[in-house]
Amino acid sequence: MKVSCSQEDLSKGLAVVGRAVATRAVLPITNNVLLATEGSQLKLAATNLEIATSCWIAANVEKEGTLTVPARLLTDFVNSLPSGQIEMTLPARSKSLELKCARYDARISGLDAADFPAIPTIEDGIKVTVKPDALRLAINQVVFAAASEESRPVLTGVYTDFDGDQLTFAAADGFRLAVHTMSLDAAIKEKMAVIIPARSLNELGRLLGDQEEPLEVTVNSQRSQVLFKMSGVEMVSQLIQGTFPNYDQLIPQSYSTRAVIKLSDFLVATRSASIFARDGSGIVRLQIMPKDGSGKIDISARAEEIGDNLGEIDATVEGEEAKIAFNSKYLLDVLQVITEKEVALETTSSSSPGLIRPVGNDKYLHVVMPMFVQW
Amino acid sequence: MITARYGIGKRKWYNTNMPIKVLPTDVASKIAAGEVVERPASVVKELLDNSLDAGATNIAVEVQGGGVRLIRVVDNGVGIPPEEVDIAFERFATSKVETTDDLESISSLGFRGEALPSIAAVAEVTMVTRSKGELGGTFLNIKDSAVVEKAKRGCPLGTTVTVRNLFRSFPARLKFLKSTATENGHISQIVTQYSLAFPEVRFVLIVDGRTTFRSPGKDSLREALGVVYGAENAKSLLAVEAGDGNEDPLLPHITGFVSPPSFTRATRGYMSFFVNRRWVQNRMLPYALEEAYRGLLVTGRHPVAVINIALPPQDVDVNVHPAKSEVRFRHERDVFTAVQMAVRDTLVAQAPIPTLETLYQSQPAPAPSTGPLITSDAGAQATSAMSPVATPPPVAPAVGLLPILRVVGQVASTYIIAEGPDGMYLIDQHAAHERVLFERIRDQRQRRAVEVQGMLQPVPVELTVRQQELLEMHGEALAEYGFDIEHFGERTCLVRSVPAMLRGQNVAQSLTELLDFVGEGAKSDWREGIAVSLACHSAVLAGQVLSHDEMQDLIRQLERTSNPKHCPHGRPTMIHLSAAQLEKGFGRR
Repeated sequence: MKVSCSQEDLSKGLAVVGRAVATRAVLPITNNVLLATEGSQLKLAATNLEIATSCWIAANVEKEGTLTVPARLLTDFVNSLPSGQIEMTLPARSKSLELKCARYDARISGLDAADFPAIPTIEDGIKVTVKPDALRLAINQVVFAAASEESRPVLTGVYTDFDGDQLTFAAADGFRLAVHTMSLDAAIKEKMAVIIPARSLNELGRLLGDQEEPLEVTVNSQRSQVLFKMSGVEMVSQLIQGTFPNYDQLIPQSYSTRAVIKLSDFLVATRSASIFARDGSGIVRLQIMPKDGSGKIDISARAEEIGDNLGEIDATVEGEEAKIAFNSKYLLDVLQVITEKEVALETTSSSSPGLIRPVGNDKYLHVVMPMFVQW
Repeated sequence: MITARYGIGKRKWYNTNMPIKVLPTDVASKIAAGEVVERPASVVKELLDNSLDAGATNIAVEVQGGGVRLIRVVDNGVGIPPEEVDIAFERFATSKVETTDDLESISSLGFRGEALPSIAAVAEVTMVTRSKGELGGTFLNIKDSAVVEKAKRGCPLGTTVTVRNLFRSFPARLKFLKSTATENGHISQIVTQYSLAFPEVRFVLIVDGRTTFRSPGKDSLREALGVVYGAENAKSLLAVEAGDGNEDPLLPHITGFVSPPSFTRATRGYMSFFVNRRWVQNRMLPYALEEAYRGLLVTGRHPVAVINIALPPQDVDVNVHPAKSEVRFRHERDVFTAVQMAVRDTLVAQAPIPTLETLYQSQPAPAPSTGPLITSDAGAQATSAMSPVATPPPVAPAVGLLPILRVVGQVASTYIIAEGPDGMYLIDQHAAHERVLFERIRDQRQRRAVEVQGMLQPVPVELTVRQQELLEMHGEALAEYGFDIEHFGERTCLVRSVPAMLRGQNVAQSLTELLDFVGEGAKSDWREGIAVSLACHSAVLAGQVLSHDEMQDLIRQLERTSNPKHCPHGRPTMIHLSAAQLEKGFGRR
């Protein structure tokens, strides 16, 4: 193999695939990054067996070839180099990659590419095209609600439902539920639902950062893997097998109190209460008070023997007076991902779930279970 | 028929045809003696009681052949006047009690008047005694309960009783004696215990010609303990101090020494209890003591303690058994509480943070040749025992307070290294967090303000039969902690809410492990067990990387707990490597 490319391109490409490199690998070769010439491009690939990320960079290929080298070592070395062309040579029958850039030389011992786990290829299956911005928002608004604790593996994933021209993402961890629905430009014929690991979607959200072109999402026909195809980058993720709980029944269908609140006010008051809630279990108390068609909400927290605070915000309250306590983290998690100016909080009692949704947008909703406290 | 068979069986054992008659004196006295003199150690005990009642300050005990061949007790007490010597060996002869009213308030060790005659009934006894004001002593030789020789003989002030050939005429008893070593062990146990009860008396024990024990007799319990348990161990014992002296004289008054939680033994054999200076056996007292250590000791380890209970003589009945080692209290509950409170207060106020040295020491039987670091440690210890600087007077720190600690870093993602005013502290992050959470959830429950997180969707939990039983028995206690649990078919339950502390944990696993934890063994306090288990499941794990702020925050929270030095399971939360130890380790001093 003999190939040359720019230091910037290589550095960027290694950063893209870097997150897929296994950290504590059972299979040592997964700590490596695969280098392979493909036409006039250099392909970089890494996998931790749950996700595999590939990236193609422009290169001047003089002689074809392929090898895997330790990802961390190569990345750190390339990042330390001055900008300019990097020439990589793999002498015949050798496993030692020679790098040359300006007046810097290095040799990195690698492992045979044949031993590298095959990067799954997905040709057939159900394919949809989505805009990167819309997908990024959906990931942002849903992934945090997935469980981090692995006792119920399906809850560590995001339920992804393809239905006509609707794509719905839902995540729940036993205490809260987030549901985001987006429209597709072209409807699909088949109805289908899969569970994508939340970790994979987080990684995808990161990769979407500098994408502008629509991306293709393809679920293979066995429904075991999903491919996200972006320009110059591909990510394949395993899917979680199992049945996701029927979340529709968790969404309250009615309310006795509904408060419409300016998001920025709600956020500020919750943040300041969370400082006092920090020492205990993060309890933030909301007292919703209607008053002649408008009203207010008192948001308070107290820490035993330390102190307490109270913030008052305006709200349009319909229905009866209500008291409900939430974990401040849960509240902040959802308020921080809503992009609209106003949100609605709907409650029925202090021990039944509260519903938070942006006003003027029925594509997102969040259900959160309150904490039971002494009032 | 069953009754018939019983009848026949009974006849095999004794002949019902024998007429009823009064036992001859020698048989009766031997039966009585059997109650008092169970084994050689009982003889030693009875003779020590007499010597101490005679006000002796020097007592030598000599035994041979496990006490069967010879027991000799020499004291410098007041002696027995010549005219009373004969009668001393009569049954129920005593100078210590005159009327039945005296029995109500016994302040002497002996009182039954059974000791000497009982011993004389089962052995050959000689006695030489001289009381003050007499020119010569009296010698008395008794065989088979009868005086065979009485003479004047010169001797120092006090009494010497020699017991030979114990149980020779009593082969049944002789047969049941254990090995010489075992009997010697019992005797030495008696003498050492008495030396703790009477630190002002100098005891010497000579076994088969070899002096095996010598108490200092300096009226210092700590010094006496040093001889019994070793100087270093005795130094670490915590004094159980009496209050300010103003308390009710009718209430039990507790003094003595107890071991810090870092110094434990694998058996209960290192707890000594004295009631009005009488060494006693009582089931309730060790229990009271261990209750005081609750949450401080690891299961299977027991404290070392010497507890003196002083209370008005009329409140304690020692006349339960001829051997007098069993006692009954009139107000048992008061005594229990007094012991528990006194010891608990001592532990909370004085328990030091374990140092590396004490940790090495408390390891069971360390091999004589350990690594070089430990050897040098041991050397440093020996010198520190002599250097006045290294043995500061025991200062009782304010209750619960930790020194001000500055976080330096984290080792093995498990221990926080902190610097304090006197050297380095290693803090177990899991144990420390457990303590913080334990007190938080316990206080929340006491205030009936447990923070509860509802489940958006109930979590089904599968239970074993045992777990199901426990759940039914203690559902109420669990509810107090915020568990809303509902039956859901056979051996499955639905959890609808959990203590907020458990958020983010595996609910099913936490609940089943909690049931297992509180179910194992007989927990006297189920509710506390739940708190311990909850804290354990919610605490930060060993192996978790913590940021500097998180560590600082954890220490800040630990400072606010009432018992920051131990986790609720009783393990230490921190160990201390003092500046002096560091200097020594690096050869700077």
